[in-house]
Amino acid sequence: MPISLSINGQIHTVDGDPETPLLWVLRDDLNMTGTKFGCGIGMCGACTVHLDGQAKRSCITTVATASNKKITTIEGLSSDGSHIAQQAWIMVDVPQCGYCQAGQIMSAAALLGNKPNPTDDEIDEAMSGNLCRCGAYVRIRQAIRKAAEMRRNAK
Amino acid sequence: MTDRIILNRRSFLKISATAAGGLLIATHFKTNVVSGDALETFTPNAFVRIDADDTITIWFKCSEIGQNVKTSMSVIIADELEANWNKVKVVQADLNPKLYGAQGSGGSDNITSQWEQLRQVGAMGREILIAAAAQTWSVPADNCVARNSEVIHQSSGRKLSYGALVGTAAKMPVPKTEPKLKDSKDFRLIGANLTGVDNLPIATGKPLFGIDVRVPGMLRASIERCPAFNGKVASVDSSKALAVPGVRNVIKIDGRDNPTEMMSGVAVVADSTWAAMKGREALSVTWDEGPVKSESTSGLLKQFRELSAKPGKVLRTSGDIDTAFNQSAKVLEAEYQAPFLAHVTMEPQNCVAHVHDGKCEIWGPLQSPGSARRLVSNMTEIPVENIHVHITRIGGGFGRRLMSDYAAEAAAVSRAVNAPVQVIWTREDDIQHDYYRPAGYHRVKAGLDQKGNISVWKHHLVNVSRNAYRKDPRPAELTEIYGLFTPKDSDLASNLEMDLVPVLIPNCRLEYTEVKTGIPTGAWRAPAHNVNAFVIETLLDELAHMARKDPVDLRLSILGDKVDFPFKPTADNPTPYNPSRMKAVLQLAAEKGGWGKTPPTGIGRGIAGHFTFSSYAAHVVDLSVDSKNNVKIHRVVSAVDTGITVSPSGIEAQTQSGIIDGISAAFWGGITVENGRVQESNFSDYRLMRIKEAPQIEVHILKNSERPSGEIALPPIAPAVANAIFAVTGKRIRQLPFRGAGFSM
Repeated sequence: MPISLSINGQIHTVDGDPETPLLWVLRDDLNMTGTKFGCGIGMCGACTVHLDGQAKRSCITTVATASNKKITTIEGLSSDGSHIAQQAWIMVDVPQCGYCQAGQIMSAAALLGNKPNPTDDEIDEAMSGNLCRCGAYVRIRQAIRKAAEMRRNAK
Repeated sequence: MTDRIILNRRSFLKISATAAGGLLIATHFKTNVVSGDALETFTPNAFVRIDADDTITIWFKCSEIGQNVKTSMSVIIADELEANWNKVKVVQADLNPKLYGAQGSGGSDNITSQWEQLRQVGAMGREILIAAAAQTWSVPADNCVARNSEVIHQSSGRKLSYGALVGTAAKMPVPKTEPKLKDSKDFRLIGANLTGVDNLPIATGKPLFGIDVRVPGMLRASIERCPAFNGKVASVDSSKALAVPGVRNVIKIDGRDNPTEMMSGVAVVADSTWAAMKGREALSVTWDEGPVKSESTSGLLKQFRELSAKPGKVLRTSGDIDTAFNQSAKVLEAEYQAPFLAHVTMEPQNCVAHVHDGKCEIWGPLQSPGSARRLVSNMTEIPVENIHVHITRIGGGFGRRLMSDYAAEAAAVSRAVNAPVQVIWTREDDIQHDYYRPAGYHRVKAGLDQKGNISVWKHHLVNVSRNAYRKDPRPAELTEIYGLFTPKDSDLASNLEMDLVPVLIPNCRLEYTEVKTGIPTGAWRAPAHNVNAFVIETLLDELAHMARKDPVDLRLSILGDKVDFPFKPTADNPTPYNPSRMKAVLQLAAEKGGWGKTPPTGIGRGIAGHFTFSSYAAHVVDLSVDSKNNVKIHRVVSAVDTGITVSPSGIEAQTQSGIIDGISAAFWGGITVENGRVQESNFSDYRLMRIKEAPQIEVHILKNSERPSGEIALPPIAPAVANAIFAVTGKRIRQLPFRGAGFSM
């Protein structure tokens, strides 16, 4: 049955089982591969997208659940890397293998949307759902502080 | 597969014009031993292209797994080329050993083994461009310098950009002499704070990884493997699976005789990954489980313990240990255990293959692309020249991607369904069918003389051998003793892998016993070092306390000033162990970490150091432990020596990474096997460190002019943490993971 999804400001209609995780519809049906598969049980955060601005794990979110929400993926955060989280990630040289980083950036962007100047504890709390197997955590903290600072300075 | 890639160089240069009027520089190297295919000699292996618009393209021929080589190898070429880094574009090369020489990555030695070659590629380009400018101006070449993608005539100040020179340069005669490499004080990009070349595509979610590959008409496959290791498919009922919408085929996969090549299983092929996974759930497979079903990790541990008390194969002996123990003032006996560890790369194993018309095309996160091609060739009987391998960026490796089993699976399924196929492993597949870090057991006895010096050391390592598992005919201990042994025994010839202990102790004996198992094993980050350093460095700490000596002083005293140390650089091992460099990192870590000062109340401070793959690292750890033995690590101060610093940001990141990974494995790592089946399944029961557990990390990079080198930081972190726990609790931890000793985080 056709399901309508609002992704990065565009409406996409997909056909199939409404219980399919949003992750696989993004990756396989819509060819938006920025959102990553890591565990399939919502434990690693590699698949993080925004639903109505909040960070959600797309591997455990069915398309039926997502159909009436505004979905933002890493491709929609900004395609040119201009979002402050993306800029900070690049400047601080956060990525090692880089596989988890789209999910990390989506969680960081949601955090910065909710709390423009997060404390270190708030950063740790908000980012604890995102695993980084390379252990880039020190720089992830640094990049989020940098992004907050960039926004403060831009005002 | 081999652990090391060794290159010996003799090279010459070829320059040519490109169709678009650019300049192409190909450097020819003679290559002897590689992890990939057998090579023809004198074939080009590195390319730089300079276009008329000043764009410089560098082909990166190895594999980027997160170790930063795509950036740092390109930086080395660009520095010698005097390139404007902003105009450099780095492109991933496909597998083509005839063109590029050794490819892939392993043993942390991409930079170490290719340092001169990469520099020569750049230097040759620079000299040609200078010669072209000198000819254009009719001035002597030695009055011209290259800087920032321009050649400057020093007397007149005239300048020509590289782009403007490519036409002339392409017609220049090839220089008769080797290019002159830059003095290290003139490095401009090497040592500069440059960031990763793929940062923008990563931060914007561009398709870079194997799992992102899309090929027209591509199907997806999910593979059910026998829950007990090495089991074979007895029968399959695929009717329910085939009824799942989107499922097209169910394919039986016969495993290879060598289990490191491919496991037996049943593939469900579908239009989408989700349909393939749902179809797989509906499969009904009967397995012929074979002998591993009776194996368990608890049974192995019992065997390890029993065998460790019996004599092992003597690998090295010196002095007279019996007399030395009799004369010892104090004797310490200790036993250590270490579990199997999974790799859990963030990007699950995956690969795309398309077998058609007697050819095969492969796209995947391959660390050993040459081995992958050979394996697929052996399996499909398609000659290697008809197999085209595209190397993608790799979402973490830690040793797992040295295996190419997932490429073999993709080729097997593609051949069966006659279409391009992407095989994707689930996290459960990954944790339950990995090639694990070998589990093992150490029984050590050491003695102190009247002055508190270590006079005798007897070491018995009992473990399962990854060398034996992969059916390598060489001795089982070969892959297991890194960091324990010395090169004095030429039969072992493992001169890259030794540590000081116990070579500098007058009376010592090292023994090894292999325990056979069907549980798969493979290389795991800093293989063997990752356990052996824990044993040595915690035991040294224990001996220091027993001798009432400072642990740093004790280490420095056994390192000494061994200018007569027997390890000299050779072509195969250009960076042998140098105890004075080990001393320097210990001293720097001690100084920066406040060693010798009293830590704040409640804080335990510990130190450890180790030599791994040509590099030196030492860490000082500050932590506290609450009444329930919950540990909080507050700070790690690290000193590292990786020779000349190519990428400061990369070294700092790798050091942070090794520390986090090492602590994570020390507290939570461990695979449990019962009835030949892995009990853990996903991140829910195979814990990794999360950001809130990550300590502050301070990295100090030692400056020197030694040859640059790779992976370093992981082996000494677990012992530094254990030593700090002792400092604050008085309790010794002799087992990995620490939770077995009652400590958690």
